[in-house]
Amino acid sequence: MTLAVTSSAIAAEPLASAVPQAKPVLQLVGVRKVFGEFAAVDGVNVDFKEGEFVSIVGPSGSGKTTLLRMLAGMEGPSEGYITLRGNLINDVPADKRPTCLVFQSLALFPHKTVGENIEFPLKVRKMPPAERKARALELMRMVRLPESYYGKNVMRCSGGEKQRVALARAFAYDPDVLFFDEPLSALDYKLKKALEKELKDLHRVSGKTFVYITHSLEEAMVMSDRVGVMSRGKLVQIGTPEEIYTKPANRFVAEFFGEVNSFEVRRGADGWKAADGKALVVSGLPEGVSDAATVIVRPETMRFVPTGAAVDNAIQGTIYNEYSLGSRMQYQVHAGERIYLVEAPRGGAVSAGDAVTIGWDAADAIVVGD
Amino acid sequence: MNLTRRNFMQAVGAAAVAGPMATAGRALAAGREKELNILCWEGYNSAQVLDPFRSSKGATVKAESLTNDPTMINRLRAGETRIWDLINVNNPWARKVMAPAGLIKPLPKAEFEPYFDTMLPQFKSPYRWAMSDDGKDLLGMAQRFGPYSFVVNTDKVSRATAEEQGWALFADPALAGKYGILESDDWNVFGIFMVAGINPFKEHTDAEMKLFSETAEKVFKGAKMVGDIASLNQALVSGEIDLHLTGGTYSVSPARADGYLNLRAVTPLKGPIDGKGGISWIEITSTVNNPDLSPLATEFLKYVQQPEVAHTVAFAEGTFNPVSQMGNKKCFDLFTKDELEAIQWDSLEEEMARSAEYDIVPDYEKALDLMTAAKRLRG
Amino acid sequence: MAVAIEHQSQTVDTSPKGIQVSPGLRASGPVVVLLGLGFLAPLLTVAAYAFATPKSFDAFRSFTLANFAVIFDPANTVWTSFAWSIAYAVATVVLLAIIAYPIAYGLHRLFGKWAGFVSVLFVFPLFVSENVRLYGWVLFFIKNGVLDGALKALGFSGGPELLYTPGAILFGMLYVYLPFMLFPMTLGIAMVPKDLIDAARDLGAGRFMIWREVELPLAMPGILIGMLLTFVLGAGAIAESKILGGQSVITIAQDIEVAFTYAQNWPLGSALALILVVIVSGLALTVLSKLDLDRILGRR
Repeated sequence: MTLAVTSSAIAAEPLASAVPQAKPVLQLVGVRKVFGEFAAVDGVNVDFKEGEFVSIVGPSGSGKTTLLRMLAGMEGPSEGYITLRGNLINDVPADKRPTCLVFQSLALFPHKTVGENIEFPLKVRKMPPAERKARALELMRMVRLPESYYGKNVMRCSGGEKQRVALARAFAYDPDVLFFDEPLSALDYKLKKALEKELKDLHRVSGKTFVYITHSLEEAMVMSDRVGVMSRGKLVQIGTPEEIYTKPANRFVAEFFGEVNSFEVRRGADGWKAADGKALVVSGLPEGVSDAATVIVRPETMRFVPTGAAVDNAIQGTIYNEYSLGSRMQYQVHAGERIYLVEAPRGGAVSAGDAVTIGWDAADAIVVGD
Repeated sequence: MNLTRRNFMQAVGAAAVAGPMATAGRALAAGREKELNILCWEGYNSAQVLDPFRSSKGATVKAESLTNDPTMINRLRAGETRIWDLINVNNPWARKVMAPAGLIKPLPKAEFEPYFDTMLPQFKSPYRWAMSDDGKDLLGMAQRFGPYSFVVNTDKVSRATAEEQGWALFADPALAGKYGILESDDWNVFGIFMVAGINPFKEHTDAEMKLFSETAEKVFKGAKMVGDIASLNQALVSGEIDLHLTGGTYSVSPARADGYLNLRAVTPLKGPIDGKGGISWIEITSTVNNPDLSPLATEFLKYVQQPEVAHTVAFAEGTFNPVSQMGNKKCFDLFTKDELEAIQWDSLEEEMARSAEYDIVPDYEKALDLMTAAKRLRG
Repeated sequence: MAVAIEHQSQTVDTSPKGIQVSPGLRASGPVVVLLGLGFLAPLLTVAAYAFATPKSFDAFRSFTLANFAVIFDPANTVWTSFAWSIAYAVATVVLLAIIAYPIAYGLHRLFGKWAGFVSVLFVFPLFVSENVRLYGWVLFFIKNGVLDGALKALGFSGGPELLYTPGAILFGMLYVYLPFMLFPMTLGIAMVPKDLIDAARDLGAGRFMIWREVELPLAMPGILIGMLLTFVLGAGAIAESKILGGQSVITIAQDIEVAFTYAQNWPLGSALALILVVIVSGLALTVLSKLDLDRILGRR
């Protein structure tokens, strides 16, 4: 394995992740994990391809951490098969798997120095001390830790530095697959953003398969080749960030990105109607959906319609409240019994109390089955 | 009463603050009519003895029991004369130590002397240990007493053998590992002198001290155990030991009261103290030279002379002992046959006659040091 | 000892200025006074007595090294008592560490819902006085007692002659001080985050490696506190030797007791106590400084 040291070298690397190889390195078939009556993971099928960066997102309790613990070998599945390069590894314990997990807590050894932490997996594998040190320093360069940190107590490192130590330690014995259990969740926003990009670089440079667990879809979108969404123990959808965003498999996935405007619609003799009886133009029905569906209009798709302009669906309302999102503004628009959300660039001519028309084109809405 | 590390350290801690606290306490206590503090051997601190007095006088009575005389006397020396009203110790201390040192004050003779006339014959007034050296002052009242030499299990060593052989039993190689020693180190000093055939209550020559030291080493080395009264009685009953050094009615009476009449305090027929083979003790209770002495002090001394109370004192919790008031028929009649058996009433008079009375050992400290060193050789 | 050091530094801080009293110090005043009265005053009194004229009560009024001269006199055999006490304390610490570790480990990781019950079993005896429990063991080991009697009833020749021997003292100390080792140790083991063990395993470490590299060093603070407690208690032990051991060995605490009672030599007793404090705290601090608690706790 070769390791790039400088950022220019990174840029020169081919985009390995852009061309994921088809061969699955890790395969899950019908994997279930039952605790008593409760199925934490309920029939998950997924292939992780060589060199791929896959994120699994889901709310707390969706089963993503249990799934990861099974992948890492800390729990055995109750049913189903987990194979690594074609070999069944259901009952192979964590210390015998060529995989490595970066814990949410990072799980750095507080009584050891940075160097000792990174060398731990090598010491376990009885590598001679001199070789260990050389390898540790190489890894420290890779994660951009100064060499002087080698003898530093790990608990005296900053949050970002600890993160890098944990990464270096995970890479130390060259595992086939790296698992991440939301290691960035405790960091502040700016550091998190920077580290997300570094992690992505590291993935590209190393060519390893990454499986990343997070509850933040935004984090997953930034880094991953593919994103899987979990809900109640099931993998609801897995696809590229683009697919997840534009073609959510259901309302749950669509809503996972944030607040949306949704309309439960039924097809009558005279076309589609919302629950309040309002006629709507609906297009792009997914396969197998015919008479009932949910139309989802993201706040960024909903727009203010100037008087006289043409739009498929329009709603009259009053601006009830406005919030700043930074470069954009979000408006709550009161119409009938409901509140609709509209996002628009800052500097619009509207303000609270104004009567407005909002609307969207049928092609911009997302239609899901349930 | 067993001194553990904890209460030992508490005692040290208490002593450390007792000095200043006592001064403060005195300033606060306007009058002491309803307060009485007694420093005593166990028995007088029992609820059976104190509660009737407390309720009849409506008084707060505090009694602290200790298990050796020197500690009690040094508590007074350390400044606690301001705290205590009565002190109850063995016979020589009032006359020979506390009175000359001004730690106690005489009793009103006219009030208390008549009590001696109703006591057992040997306490007839003027009773030596209750009087000052010059015979003028009455320094305290006598109550509990008893012989205190050694105890044997008569199933293993007959009373006759024990009385004839006397202290030599503890130098007999055949009995090594079969005897115990009571942890009362002051009495053990007497006992070791007796085993060595030396009168304890005199100045000793270097040669005698050397013999004492050698005897102590031998006796302690041969002992199966050193322990408190409860442990030794338990060991006698179970058969771990057949006899133990330093003991008498005071120590063996609880076991005898439980029905182990085969255990018996023994007084040797003859010995080195002017021919006497045993040692006995008589408790003298004196009023402390407290600048603010409670008026209840003398009241309490009268109270314990009453036949019923004297009987209660004799059989207070812990140990059971004869009392001088048994000379009064009204008091004696209160003792049951079993109680008389427990305190070996049958031989009490002859045993007391064969015993020398507890006295001061002039070179006690030196002897104790030698004995302490001898004990260390056990390990 | 930590309390004493802290307290001293506080008094040192205030003495030069005198007038300027920080709010913090004022707030801590009651505690300082309480510590001063309850902890420092008795200790100072003992120290003062140690330098007083032998067999007197002239603490704070006389100064002499005579008591120490007596103790360090080559003819004086009191050193054997020190040696016994320290030896017993060390043996107790070592054996208890070996005995308590598996129990503590089990309490935390194996016994599951029974852990609470097992803890109560170990705590419960603490509600009964040490002496009473030791007398209980006397009845167990004594001739025709529980052990001897039961073995005879089963047709054996009888129990071993353990009572009133140095071995019985060690047994008593192990029995009495087990909770003082066990509970800090359990706490220490419980302080090791489960994640670290999982991580070590995930990084390829086997059972023994995880124990040696992660569990043991991280549980060390608790283990050390347990060792320190049992050592200090063991060095001052007296009841075990008196009750179970029949004084077959004289411990230093007993020598101190005799000095304060039968010998009525408070200055000598205080000097012995002071030397014991110096030896015990010296040994404890040396060991602690060598083991570097801060680093183990990850504060540096």
